[in-house]
Amino acid sequence: MTPKTNGCARTATDRMRLAYPAIESANSGYFIAVHVQTWPLTATKQASVLANDWFIFAGSGLAVALLVWGLIGFALARWRRRSRPSNDPPQFRNNYPLEIAWTAVPFAFVCILFFYGYRAEASVDAVDPHPDVIVHVNAYRWGWQFRYEGGPLVAGATHSPIIGSNDAPPPELVLPLNETTRIDLTSSDVTHSFWVPDFLFKRDAIPGQVSSFDLSPDRLGSFPGRCAQFCGLDHAFMTFLVRVVTPAQFAAWRRTADAR
Amino acid sequence: MSAVASPRVAPAARTDLLSWITTTDHKRIGILYLSTSLFYFFVAGMLALVIRTQLARPGNSLVTPHAYAQLFTLHGTAMIFLFVAPFALGLANFLIPLQIGAPDMAFPRLNATSYWLFLSGGLVVFSGAASNEGAAAAGWTSYVPLSAIKVSTGLGQDLWIVGVFLVSVATILTAVNFVTTVFIYRAPGMTMWRIPIFTWEMVATSLLIFMAFPTLAADLLLLFVDRRLGGHVFDPAGGGNVVLWQHLFWFFGHPEVYVMILPYFGVISEIIPVFSGKPIFGYTGLVLAAFAIAGLSMGVWAHHMFTTGAVNNPFFSFLSFLIAVPTGVKFFNWIATMWRGSISFQTPMLFAIGFLLNFLLGGVTGVMVASPAVDYMAHDSYFVVAHFHYVLGGGSLFAIFAALFFWWPKMFGVKLDETLGKWCFWFLFVGFNVTFLPMHLMGLEGMPRRVFTYANTGRLPELNLIATCGSYVMLVGTLLFAWNVIVSTVRRRPVGDDPWGANSLEWATSSPPPEHNFDKLPPIRSERPVWDLHHPAGPRT
Repeated sequence: MTPKTNGCARTATDRMRLAYPAIESANSGYFIAVHVQTWPLTATKQASVLANDWFIFAGSGLAVALLVWGLIGFALARWRRRSRPSNDPPQFRNNYPLEIAWTAVPFAFVCILFFYGYRAEASVDAVDPHPDVIVHVNAYRWGWQFRYEGGPLVAGATHSPIIGSNDAPPPELVLPLNETTRIDLTSSDVTHSFWVPDFLFKRDAIPGQVSSFDLSPDRLGSFPGRCAQFCGLDHAFMTFLVRVVTPAQFAAWRRTADAR
Repeated sequence: MSAVASPRVAPAARTDLLSWITTTDHKRIGILYLSTSLFYFFVAGMLALVIRTQLARPGNSLVTPHAYAQLFTLHGTAMIFLFVAPFALGLANFLIPLQIGAPDMAFPRLNATSYWLFLSGGLVVFSGAASNEGAAAAGWTSYVPLSAIKVSTGLGQDLWIVGVFLVSVATILTAVNFVTTVFIYRAPGMTMWRIPIFTWEMVATSLLIFMAFPTLAADLLLLFVDRRLGGHVFDPAGGGNVVLWQHLFWFFGHPEVYVMILPYFGVISEIIPVFSGKPIFGYTGLVLAAFAIAGLSMGVWAHHMFTTGAVNNPFFSFLSFLIAVPTGVKFFNWIATMWRGSISFQTPMLFAIGFLLNFLLGGVTGVMVASPAVDYMAHDSYFVVAHFHYVLGGGSLFAIFAALFFWWPKMFGVKLDETLGKWCFWFLFVGFNVTFLPMHLMGLEGMPRRVFTYANTGRLPELNLIATCGSYVMLVGTLLFAWNVIVSTVRRRPVGDDPWGANSLEWATSSPPPEHNFDKLPPIRSERPVWDLHHPAGPRT
């Protein structure tokens, strides 16, 4: 487990040394341009729903945590042992009404939370039977292939494992604004995961299985995407870029990309 | 009554190396288990420091991507299989017979077998590092096809399978021993509703082990068949199914989370009453909550698979939410135990309070990621890394230190130094939170787990640097503990049978206890016989 000096590991180091400036220049230009706003960005209709769920859960979770931290802090401050006690503190062991209450109230609370979470998930997981665009996404070690139904096909890797060709920019998934794109996701080798942090969403790319979901971008711009499921040596470099354009620009891009 | 004033001397026992290797005494096996698991903790902690150093700044080249994958695989494997879970087994080995007034475990030789299997399993996992292609590098979850022979060609992955298999067999045998001992070997008067909460939690844990670990052992064998004997169980090209591995692994893996936390709920339930000067509040509620958690934890495994698109997310989400209810019951019981008490802040209590504060945050983020809509973002990101470290590091690890400080006098007859202990606590508490709090934000910034480097964008460089600094503060805390052990051992000040004014039966015998545990048992009329012994007039209510 210590760094080995055999051939495999050495090329990995070399690759990394060469690749780092590449990923830096390839990413930072895009990333800094799009990533200076406050979280969450909610760049799709689905992401607005997901962000709402985040606020409900983070808010109620923090409220509960503050309440319980407060109770602990109060008990510690109020009943800390100041000197040798002359006699023992009260030796009570039970309070059944209280115990029933602190079982029933949290139960009701999580049922309500479940209801909100269920609603959000159902809306995000719903797949439109008539999407505007269909893209077949194939994840592979360590790149992405985006095959648009009716063309074109975009494929590439940020960092090819071949030394010298590591200056490639990440492959782009171009999506039309305010239209629904269905992604049919799979993998041709190991399990990967398609993650766009600004969409607050990821889905695993699993070999032997096609997984479908909709993306409905409602904000123009470029959004970094990456593999989230550890898939081997260059997992850290397995990035892509989602570029959201107007439907007119999308049609134009499709024609030129097809011609290429 | 006079037990505190005049420490009895244990009859001279053999202490040579051979006597330790051949021992079947549950206390010695317990101590072997504890020291071995602490050794693995130290190794896994050092691996974590290398990881944090590599991530201190973007584009660092301290380790290669391949070495990094081995580092986090061994870190996770060692912390989970070789430290947090077996430490609890070691503690229970030492404590269960003492807490129920038994002379030893039901099957002493089986007990010794478990320990040696555990030790060798760990060594086999680590021995992969000496093989040509290094140790296993597919993560502690060892997902297929990444761990399949086509991708992970090295011997390290096979050694990982064999090593973890040995550990899982050891764990099953130990659980058999625990359950049999508690059901059959209790002293007269020690009814089931009088056994200490720690022992109850170990009964619940053992039942979970019966359900979870045979599944793990079977999964590992199937993976081995696929890798070396031409099987296609997990190979889609041969009609197998990749998601099946995730189902089988997490069917073990989620109960395993509770195998790593229920014993420490027990530790906290033993320590808080002693340092609050009160009986545990809601004994029955705590026991029922332990079994509710154990039962529910068998039905939540696919919440690790929300993003696969291959499971019924709402079902697993709802059952996961329900676990918050019995866990909340435990929290409220602990707070009610401190309520109107007389709380003294000695080192075991400080660590128990640290456990409460940290674990609470891990629990809250746990409820968050149990909602698929939240998990779609958080899964496989540093948010989840923060979440499970708050549960297992801020929770279990703090309870482990609480247990070490609390039961050290019983095991070795001397107390660990209080001043050094308090410094140890503060370094670990501050270091832990500085390390892991920023990781929530890293996840929201889009940093996936298991990456050996990251782009120099957003707040990632600052957040990572802060986390790395925190990890070195934790190192100082850990070294202070090691120094404390040396100082206290050299100083050798005997403390007597019951230095804390504690409740349960292990404090009624000498420190360390004689080979047969008890010369004489006090009458057992409640769940705290030693307190009753010191308060013949009964409690003031």
